[in-house]
Parts: sequence; C-alpha cells; structure tokens
Amino acid sequence: MSDVTFSHVAKSFGQLGGKLALSAAKAVDDFNLQIAQGEFVSFLGPSGCGKTTSLRMLAGLERNTEGVISIGDEIVSDASRGVFVPPERRRVGMVFQSYAVWPHMTVFENVAYPLKIARVAKSEIQSRVAEMLKVVELSGLEARMPSQLSGGQQQRVALARGLVMQPKVLLLDEPLSNLDAKLREKMRHDIREIQQRLKLTVVYVTHDQIEATTMSDRMVIMRAGKIIQVGTPAEIRSSPNDAFVADFIR
Amino acid sequence: MATIKAEQMSSTNPGAGPSLSRRLTSALSQAGLLRLALLLIGAVLVFVLCVVPFLNLFFKIAFFGDRFSLEIFSDLTQVKAVRTATLNTLKVALTITIASVGVAVPLAWLLTRWDFPFASKFRSYLCLPYAIPPYVGAIAWIFLANPMTGLLNHLLGASVLNIYSFTGLVFVETCFLYTFVLIASLASLDRMDSSLEEAARLSGASPLRVFRDITLPLLKPTLIGSSLLVFLAAVASFGVPALIGGPARLYLLTTQIYTYQRMGSMSGLLRAAALSIWLMVAALVLMIAAHYISTRKTLQTVGGKTARPSNFELGRLKTPLVILVCLFLGVVFILPIFGVLLSSLSQTQGELGLSNLTLSNWHRILFEVSETPRALSNSLIAAAAAATLASVVAMFVAYVQVKTKIRGRALFEIFASLPYATPGTVVALALIMTFSISFLGVIPSLYNTLALIIVAYFVKYLSFSVRTVGDGYRQIDDVLAEAARMSGANGRQTMMTIWLPLLMPALVASWFLVFMPALSEMTMTLLLTGPGLETIGTLTFQLQEYADASGGGASVLAIIVVFAVIVINTLVKRLSRGKFGL
Repeated sequence: MSDVTFSHVAKSFGQLGGKLALSAAKAVDDFNLQIAQGEFVSFLGPSGCGKTTSLRMLAGLERNTEGVISIGDEIVSDASRGVFVPPERRRVGMVFQSYAVWPHMTVFENVAYPLKIARVAKSEIQSRVAEMLKVVELSGLEARMPSQLSGGQQQRVALARGLVMQPKVLLLDEPLSNLDAKLREKMRHDIREIQQRLKLTVVYVTHDQIEATTMSDRMVIMRAGKIIQVGTPAEIRSSPNDAFVADFIR
Repeated sequence: MATIKAEQMSSTNPGAGPSLSRRLTSALSQAGLLRLALLLIGAVLVFVLCVVPFLNLFFKIAFFGDRFSLEIFSDLTQVKAVRTATLNTLKVALTITIASVGVAVPLAWLLTRWDFPFASKFRSYLCLPYAIPPYVGAIAWIFLANPMTGLLNHLLGASVLNIYSFTGLVFVETCFLYTFVLIASLASLDRMDSSLEEAARLSGASPLRVFRDITLPLLKPTLIGSSLLVFLAAVASFGVPALIGGPARLYLLTTQIYTYQRMGSMSGLLRAAALSIWLMVAALVLMIAAHYISTRKTLQTVGGKTARPSNFELGRLKTPLVILVCLFLGVVFILPIFGVLLSSLSQTQGELGLSNLTLSNWHRILFEVSETPRALSNSLIAAAAAATLASVVAMFVAYVQVKTKIRGRALFEIFASLPYATPGTVVALALIMTFSISFLGVIPSLYNTLALIIVAYFVKYLSFSVRTVGDGYRQIDDVLAEAARMSGANGRQTMMTIWLPLLMPALVASWFLVFMPALSEMTMTLLLTGPGLETIGTLTFQLQEYADASGGGASVLAIIVVFAVIVINTLVKRLSRGKFGL
C-alpha cells in the first residue's frame, strides 16, 4: 500500500547558537531511506544524532530545509518546491516519549479523538475504539482518567490513539524509555506483535540497541546527523561499517 | 517581575513527625540562639505589622458603642451611595476582567504557538505595562481624549472620544491589567508539554481545533486564577477611578472610602472603615479562591518536553497580524507614553504645533514648585527604607519557610501576603486606625509621619520579597552550607560566606521589586499623607486634580516615573540574567 521515502533530506536550524550562528550546522544531513509497506524500521543512535528530528520531519512537526519526503504516492514535503503538507493532513500516527495522553479527557475520549476530528459516525467510533482498546489490552478502562492509569497503561492509550485512525505509518519516539525494565520487555514484544498482526509500517526511534535489534526488520544507525549504516540487525551485527557502529551495537 | 500567582499557602505538616519539643530543641541546636532570637523578632514584626492592624480595624468597628454589634455593616447597605458604589465596582471589574482575558489569551497563543516574528521582543513590550502605575495611563488618556481639549478630539475635529465615562475607565484599566493574564498565560503555555498539542495535530486537528480541544482546557486553571486576580486588582484600584471616575461621577468602593475618610468626621471615618472591611473580605475570598483554583488540579502528565516545539505557520496572515499587534501595542502603550511626554511639553494642553512646545512645565515642576524636591526625596527615602526592611525580614521569613520544618511556618507567608491581597485603601485605613494613637505607650503616634508611609509600603509589598528570596533559598542546596560546616566554619561564618553571597541576586531582585512600586505608590499614600509629606504619587495626584492650573505638571512627574520604571526594570533583568524583570 504505502511506503516512505526520504531523499536527500536535510534540516538546518537557522538561529542555532545565537550570535555565532553557523548556518552550516545541520541537525540532519543528506538523509536517504526507503521504507517498505509493513516494515518495522528503527532509527538508532546516541542522543543528538538527529534521529528524533528525522522522525519529526516525517510527521510534519519539523520542516525539512532540503530534500523530498513522500508517504505512499504523496509527496508530503519538498523543500525546493515549497510543498509542505501539515501534520494534521498526513494520516500519520505517533506515540510520544511522554505519551502525551490528554489529562482532561477519559481513556475513551483520548482514543476516540482522531475519529471525532474525522467526523466518523458515533456508532462507528464506539466500535472502533472498543476494538482498539482490545488490541492494546485496555478493555474496561474506557471511563478512567489518565491520572488513574499507570505509566504502562498510559503508553497503551497513546498507542491505541495512534492506531485508531488506521494511519499510513506509525511513528514511535522512544516510547519505552519511561517504563521500568520488566514492563519494557513486555511492551517490546507486544508492539512487535501488534505491528505484525496489523501489518503496520512502523518507524521507531530509540537509543537502546536491544530494543532496535529485537524489534526491527531493519535498523538505521545514525551519528551527528548522518546515516552511518542501514541493514537488518543480523547484517549490522556481522559486518559493522566502522568501529562506531560495532561499539554501539555491542 | 514577580509572578502574579497567588501565594504559596503550602500544605501544612506532612504527617506526624517528632514531637514539637523535640523539634524545637533540634531547631535550637541547629539554628543557634542568636538566629532563633532574630527569627522570633521577625515573626513578631510580621504579625504586628501585617495582621494586627486588620484585626484592630475590625474590632474597632464591631465594638463601637461598647458592645459587639455588626449593625454598622447592615446600616451600610441602606446608604444609597454605598449601594451604587458596590454595583459600579462590580460592573467595572467584571468588564475589565472579560476584556483582559479576551485580549491576553489570543496574544499569548499567537506569541507561543505561531511563528510570530520577534516574538520574544513583543513579549517583553506587551508585558511592560505591568510595571507602570496605571495612573500614568489615566493622565495620558485625559490629555489625549478628554471631551473638551483632548488631543485626539482636536485632531478628529469634534468631541468624539470621552475618557470620562464607563468605557473610558474600563479601557484605561484594561490597558494595564491585561498583563496579569498575559504573563500568567505565557508562563503556562511555555511550561505545557508540547507533545500534548502535537499529538492532537497528528490526530488530524487543525490549529484552531488544537487550541479549542487541548490548549484552552489545559490553560483553564491559569485563566481562572489570573482573571480572578484581575478582578481583584480592578476592585482595589484607586488612581484611575479617582482621576477618571470622579469627573464622570462614577464612584467605586475605593473612591467612596476615600471620600468618607476625607470628610474628617468620626462618622465619616467609621463609614470608611466599615466599607473597607466589606471590601477586604470580598478581596480575601477572591484571593483564596484564585489560589485554590490555580493550585487545586495541576494536571499531572509525564514530563519530556521536546526541545523545539513545532509552531504553526502564519503564512499570508503574518503581515496583517504583525500590523495588528503593533497597532495594539501602539494604542495601549506607545500612544499614552507619547501623550504624557507631549503633555509635559505643551504650553496649552491639547493644542498641537511647534510653537506650543515648551520646557516651562519641566522648569516649573522641577525648580519652582516647592513640593517637588520634598516629594522626590520622600519617595526615594520611603521606597528605599521599605525595600531594605522587606528584604531583610524576607531573609528570615523565607528561611523558616524553605529551610526549616518548624510547625506553622506556612502561617508566616500567609500573614505576609495578607496586606498584598487587601486593597491599598483598606491597608492605609487600618494602619491609620492602629498607629495614630500611641501604641501601649511604647511607640509614639505615627500619624502624619513618613514612618507610617514606610510601614505601609513594607507590609503591602513584603510578599514580593518573601517569594523572591524564597525562590533564592530553594535554589541553594543545603549540602553547600553543610560542606562549609565540615570545612570548619561556624554558623555565622557559614551565613556570611555561603548563604549571603549565593542569596545576593535574589536579595537584589527583592529590593527592586519592592522599591519600584513603592516609588510611585499613590493609593495608600494619599490617605497617609499630610503637610510636608508629599510623595511622587500624591504630588502627581494633586497636580492633576487641582493644583496645576495650566496643566502638564502631572505629566512631568509621570514621565519621571515611567523612565525610572524602565531603567529599574532593565537593570533588574540584566542583574538577574533574565530571571526577573519583564
């Protein structure tokens, strides 16, 4: 159905560093990648390497200053031609590191929100939300407020909300970093299982190499705004491009 | 500038700890006798100055005629002038509140969530009226838009604008009070986890929808809290209602109290006092409500801000909106400042033309009017004394508040903030009734002395100091002092070499935060002033109201005030590296 393409994408922050602004300072530089439909791809690298910026450019939360990004047949951003589809029209689901579950809405209202915006009929909203809550194992908690949920449960609400509108791509930005070790292991398994079952295209940002190697079909190793290596976990493990990758993946 | 959040009436005592005596002994050994004595003096001072006058005011009225009776309050409701003043106050305050929220919320949203150019510059300019006394605005708008000689009416060729009206009063006050909502909203929007709004965008919501469904509901506690503060400030305001409401025959509670007190008769004073208590109770209820609402339900979310929140793009709307905001800034701020300046340089008020420009007003006010040097020196002395006193006392109060576990320490701050929450007119009246008689034969009568004015400034603005110095203490980790003790320093040496230097920025900020409003204070001083006790505020009022026949004199002083405020604000911002100041 849909795949994601980055071609020669770059992002520079104009006013970075105040007075001594280096217009050459690029958060992401010459980023090229093709993601197939149904593929689970991880962006892996140390903090500040540009992985989150790349993800946010795909979401439309940041605007790339160079290159073209497309989702499926649609070009969502082309810097040279000034094409930019705002995030609300990209049909991309996203799970944030902080979950971003709205504290003033119930679990049901949180998950139903994207459907409400899309003006889906009430009865259909009911059934689709119920179905989604079943997928993330939260059935029965519809009326709860987020403050009454554990971190792991809030995480699942965010996941259900990201999935309920049947997005073209699901983006996850370090979704497990606020969970404890045991829960993290279960969520790793659950997210992968849901992705396989629903045949989702997933981009997953993490700095944790275990998460990346156990969950993904392919990994993108980044450093200082550049892609260092792309490949399956096995490929990267057996033949790392350089000492940095070898050290990071170990 | 100090946050305008309600005082931190921190929740008392987390569970049952060791017994009081055990705590006292440990506090003793920890603090040392001298320090404890100082703390005690501080506590007594705060209680006597901040609480006793109000209790005294109440009991004087309630026990008038030798027995307890609340008759005087019920009598008050029969007086037509009082009923009218109450109704007017409510109408004016409510309109100002609604207008302030209506102006401030779109501005705050625009400046924090859209790619508005020079947003940080606009932010500080738009917040600046917060630091300027509103009576400056009244003087400016009387010059610009009074029905007879207003400059704008002159330019329009007809008497179109009339500042002496309900609309005029509301307009001038809103020009200053909207900053309460703006400052609070900006702070709240900055703190908000940006991913909450981003998640809504990715759910397909348009910018306006994100605002309606996510931003506004999350902002609600802030808005309720700050609009209550606006309402309170409007109810307590005196300068603008006196200068504009008087000619418009629009009397509010504060101006009515002033009229009663100025009658000089006992019945007038009693009526003023009774009305004050009524006003004070209303104000306190509002203040507590504001505090309760703004702290009740801080919606808990897991932290994790993205470093650079993505802003909406204004696109083609950018230029029109920039022009609109510039116009707004021009009308609420630049035009009145320009008006006061022009007024101070005008031979005949309201005339326009180069030949009308003169420095004679400046010369008259600065060198001929004999009150001016007195007013300037009185204001400087009183403001400096109050600022010093408040900062020193705050050092003790905030220490107890932040660094000890002494039971009842929260009371300290509540006491300190009581006069802040009370309208200035009422504070002044309570102080007059308490300190005009010799106090137990110990303290001589302070009526008609600069000392009472200093006391008034001190109690009114003490809570600014307590909050600022408290923030300072909170940022100093106890281990720094402990490390000094381990290096062999005793308590006093630790205080002088560790606490004091680290606390210095907060103390300096606290000093200026009291000094600045005290320098131009008008409301309380007008009631406390007497022959030879002019201050900048009272002299300005006199000149504007009656003493300066040719006009322009009040504007000279207003310009001096504005200049002082801007210089001090810049200084504070520099010194605190942007932490304080607008």
